[in-house]
Amino acid sequence: MAHGIRVLEDSCRGCVNCIKSCPTEAMRVIHGRAHIIEELCIACGECLRNCRHRALQLAEDPWEGIFNNKDTVALMVDPSLCTQFLWPPNTDFLIGPLRDIGLEPISGVNSEAFDLAALAVSRAIESADSKDMPLISTYCPAVVRLVQIRFPELLKHLVPVESPLEFGIDLWRIRTQQKESVVLAASCPARIAMVHDPVGREVSSAEWAVSVARLAKEIRSRGYAKAEIKAPAEGERWVQWGMLGGETLHVASFMNRDLNAIAVSGIRNVFDLLQEVELGLHAEVEFVEARICDTGCIGGIGNAESRFLSQRKIRSQKVRWDKTASEIEVLEKLYRARIWELQRTIEPINRLPLGEEISQAMEKLKEMNAVYAELPHIDCGACGRPSCRAMAEDIIRGRGEVEDCIFKLRKRISGLAEELLLLSRRLVHTVVEDKH
Amino acid sequence: MGEPIMLEFEVKPLDFLAAGEAAERVKETLKTLGLPSSICRRAAVVAYEVEMNLVIHGGGGHMVLKVEEGQITIIAVDKGPGIPDLSLAMQEGYSTAPDYIREMGFGAGMGLSNIKRNSDELEIETEVGKGTKLVSIIYIK
Ligand code: SF4
Ligand code: SF4
Repeated sequence: MAHGIRVLEDSCRGCVNCIKSCPTEAMRVIHGRAHIIEELCIACGECLRNCRHRALQLAEDPWEGIFNNKDTVALMVDPSLCTQFLWPPNTDFLIGPLRDIGLEPISGVNSEAFDLAALAVSRAIESADSKDMPLISTYCPAVVRLVQIRFPELLKHLVPVESPLEFGIDLWRIRTQQKESVVLAASCPARIAMVHDPVGREVSSAEWAVSVARLAKEIRSRGYAKAEIKAPAEGERWVQWGMLGGETLHVASFMNRDLNAIAVSGIRNVFDLLQEVELGLHAEVEFVEARICDTGCIGGIGNAESRFLSQRKIRSQKVRWDKTASEIEVLEKLYRARIWELQRTIEPINRLPLGEEISQAMEKLKEMNAVYAELPHIDCGACGRPSCRAMAEDIIRGRGEVEDCIFKLRKRISGLAEELLLLSRRLVHTVVEDKH
Repeated sequence: MGEPIMLEFEVKPLDFLAAGEAAERVKETLKTLGLPSSICRRAAVVAYEVEMNLVIHGGGGHMVLKVEEGQITIIAVDKGPGIPDLSLAMQEGYSTAPDYIREMGFGAGMGLSNIKRNSDELEIETEVGKGTKLVSIIYIK
């Protein structure tokens, strides 16, 4: 299981549709079966979107295992869970249906936790060194992994504030003294990985992860309909984080001046923007809100509802961004307690160099270029690699043979055939065919 | 150690869509050699600015990445208009990019000074009407 994704070997037909969709070239199809090179995977879920045989799935925890003879389990609600139903995005409406399926939402802490995260981000921006600008949001774990793998020079730009979905659970435990295990509603493989393979802390505060789609299905199948639910007068601030731009608005609401920020979503935009930040093109920007999924977390592969409907639902809500004096007072206290802080520095994930010494790596690189020069450069994917270049690298790293390339194989076979023909002509005696 | 590694890039004039691609290739190539990420980044910045210069001013051209023991060299050659006043062009904020290019947000005049800041050695030969050759060296320590 790699980063929130499971390959169902029996369902995989080896069609290689998935390998081309992976933005970090982490997928291979070897001997007709897909597999993921873990140290390259950012858990974005693009491969899942492109598998027609449903052989790639979210590695969510089994429903029965979570309950394991318990009647109720606590649930951390993701903003995108609030947008999956016919009613307006609101946690209050969710409580009944969730209890009905045996989950007790950690109610109350979400708005405080997200307020606190936004406050902490705004403070980090105000005190940041200009050479570490812009600060980059850590809310999307897939973006964090992308930075670790492809943009290690930008690690110091990551804002040292943890996801409120993570420290919100801590806050709830402190408040209620509950020891119960918590399930996280996950909108994507990256959120599942956040639970089972966390980055900013040793162990996640949640024990389990279940997809938003699964939760939505359970609730919908119990016949909950629109009923007579009227939209509340006011939307919740934290639900806005489900949509691109929500975090930025929230952070800006804690500042007494304009915030110079960029919010982008979609793997391509995120990739290009990070590259530009690394090249120093955006040094005067203060904050980057980047989300791997188009439109934000409501566009995550783990959701059931259309992202555009979700977007309309969130947009339709009026939100009060100014805080009351008593809200501020509580927040300041929590801020001083520093529960929002990342517990562990985020380290780079270095790609294995081609050789131990630079000179050795250079020899390998030369070999690799030579192998590459002989390949057909059409990136057909039939070898199970996303490109001829990736194929050349796999060969040099001992993860493949030149003959995995069907064009090289064809050449080899025709060469062998010719040789056979030549050999056969050299036979002196011919056996007379047996006729009975 | 043997022969240096050479990587060549053809840069087409006004091909803004492709800009940044060579820089990314340079960065990833150097990473597979196991070079420190700060060096990879500096080389990527130089490659990017060189690429942009070729796209905007040089009428396209040729870029070569050379890696050998102890140093990385990036060489750019174009047959463009040349640079009339080199010391002026090296100043931050100076740009000769035409207005329509500035409007696209490029050519803000960071190019050469940025290359200089990220190189350990920089040499520029330029002749008006003939073209420019730029050689940037970054030490591998
Ligand atoms: S989750 Fe994303 S990075 Fe990982 S293998 Fe799939 S497409 Fe590639
Ligand atoms: S944008 Fe949200 S849903 Fe998509 S990968 Fe990031 S955290 Fe997951």
